[in-house]
Amino acid sequence: MVAERVVKDLQALGVDLEEVPYERRGYCFDGRVQREGILGVAEAFDQHGYFIEDVLCVDFVNELELVYHFNHWEDPRRFSIRVRVKPSDPEVPSISSVYPGAGWHEREIHEFFGVRFKGHPNLAFLFLHPEIEAYPLRKGHVPIPEEDRKVLEGRQPEGEEESFWINMGPQHPSTHGVLRLLLKMRGEFIEEIEPILGYMHRMQEKMAEVRTYIQYYPNTARLDYVGPLAFSMCFVGALERCCGVEVPERAQMIRLITLELNRIASHLLWLGTYLLDLGAATPYFFAFDDREAILDILEGLTGSRLTYCYYRIGGVYEDLNDGFLQKVEEFIGRMRKRLKDYDELVTGNAIFIGRTRGVGVLPKEMARRFGVTGPNLRASGVGYDVRISEPYAGYRIFGPEIAVRGGCDCYDRYLVRLDEIRRSLDLLEKAIRRVPEGPSRAERIPKKPPEGDVYFATESPRGEVGIYIVSDGSDRPYRLKWRSPSFSNFVSFTELGRGMLIADAVATLGSLDLVVPEMDR
Amino acid sequence: MEVRGPLIRFGLLEELLNLARANSLWPMTFGLACCAIEMMATTAARFDLARFGAEVFRPSPRQCDFMIVSGTITRKIAPVVRTLYEQMASPKWVVAFGNCAISGGPFVFENQYNIIEGVDKIIPVDVYVPGCPPRPEALIEALLKLQEKLTGVRRFPVPERRW
Repeated sequence: MVAERVVKDLQALGVDLEEVPYERRGYCFDGRVQREGILGVAEAFDQHGYFIEDVLCVDFVNELELVYHFNHWEDPRRFSIRVRVKPSDPEVPSISSVYPGAGWHEREIHEFFGVRFKGHPNLAFLFLHPEIEAYPLRKGHVPIPEEDRKVLEGRQPEGEEESFWINMGPQHPSTHGVLRLLLKMRGEFIEEIEPILGYMHRMQEKMAEVRTYIQYYPNTARLDYVGPLAFSMCFVGALERCCGVEVPERAQMIRLITLELNRIASHLLWLGTYLLDLGAATPYFFAFDDREAILDILEGLTGSRLTYCYYRIGGVYEDLNDGFLQKVEEFIGRMRKRLKDYDELVTGNAIFIGRTRGVGVLPKEMARRFGVTGPNLRASGVGYDVRISEPYAGYRIFGPEIAVRGGCDCYDRYLVRLDEIRRSLDLLEKAIRRVPEGPSRAERIPKKPPEGDVYFATESPRGEVGIYIVSDGSDRPYRLKWRSPSFSNFVSFTELGRGMLIADAVATLGSLDLVVPEMDR
Repeated sequence: MEVRGPLIRFGLLEELLNLARANSLWPMTFGLACCAIEMMATTAARFDLARFGAEVFRPSPRQCDFMIVSGTITRKIAPVVRTLYEQMASPKWVVAFGNCAISGGPFVFENQYNIIEGVDKIIPVDVYVPGCPPRPEALIEALLKLQEKLTGVRRFPVPERRW
């Protein structure tokens, strides 16, 4: 297996490696390395085909800990590599030369914690407002020093003779929310992309540290409002994992059904808005009509249309109501008929094919270096899905069939999402016949999680959502970090979009299915 | 925040103009966060905002009559929202859609560093719609309220209270 080979390589590099129980921690190997060694470690992971999942930082007051998560598509055993630095000298070599995706996480850490990454090409503000005075996620008030502020204010886009800068967003109908891109153009072609994020940065991670677990929980649904249940599931699942709560089977199955319904609703919303971006208005009305049918079902169960707060630690809030399963069954029939309409209307449409086939080609290798997941990855021919690799909720009982396509382009990303709707319907059909009797909530739930850290991943409609919680044994998280799929997917666009026509950039950006508040957190 | 009306008024003509304005209010295509999804749902097949003369979403602020502020106002987006408002041609109106636009909603906590607690701190607001997020029916009601503000007459009867 790949993991054993990489373990050998890491030990040769002087990494202090330890195997940890996956059931409690959510990762399989825990390694410590001196800061000088991190670049070598990243190279070793790169050689074995690992992808970068996340880079994050935890402030332990007298030390700053950087945590790098690496994972493999075929051998999904997560590695957690830690580097500790003193706050007085927070300098770490950057691994952005090996994993360009990690460079973006590093940039985030730099502005939130003040860790300087040696050899990073650009450490300017990404999320934060330039008027910020102190590092927001440091414990206590740590003002930004002058020399760091100069780095953060960064380079200004310079005009060159034959190229010019064009500003796309933050109010642009096709950026789906408030995303801003500075595009360096040479005629109609894009030379360089400089994203400016943080227009919807709502301090989710800071808020988690201020509030208790239960107080913070409703806000998890406001991260990704298109597929909120995957985020709720992730938060609840992480706490269940570190507390060792057994969830009754009935609750597991209810979770599976609601998660899949939510996935279909999310894909439908994507379908409608993406085609609207490409100039087709009719599918938008079709898709929203079908989406309303799902929202009706979910509203009956959870009480809200959009930002659900339905899962609880150890189960779900309310048991299924009368007629829920029947309504789902009716919906499956309706949706199957509707999918034929979509095929007739869109799939074979010459204009649609012309605008998407061969556009925005995201090769496997690029996806790996940026940590792209979800349908975008599956359209690049990789069958990686957290529902299969780390089954949670009802997926332990039966997993979905994964839809994979190898075209890597926008057209295949569309096909994969349509396939996923079909597979989700099949899964729902199986699930509604096999909802076991029994309680829908565990009896005993601990009030506070034990000390330590935990990782939990779920498959949202956009890719792998991860949560990393460091607990100090109190009722508030010491540090909570989201791995948002849209962020990793989006940063690949900075390389993907190079050399592209500006009209194709709209088609490509839309096909990545971004949700901005989830990216900005 | 106060907005001064036009310098010269034309009495009856003004009323007629307002009647025309009220029946074709053009909103701006500007989604911020979660509430924007409900805004989109309102324009789609089931709720169909077009029934009330407000279906023409315009991406350019210069062609719009009113702005639906649908989401949290962060410190970074605040100047953008303000610019968009200033770019709109008078007469113009603003709907604060959702708790975030009203007061910061669920994202307010002590020593928060990045949000503006309410859009009325930067631009004047005509109609407030509470909810997190508000339902599409609430946006339709907001539109009716705005029309009432313009013409002085409510277009549809207020639904009877049944509780």
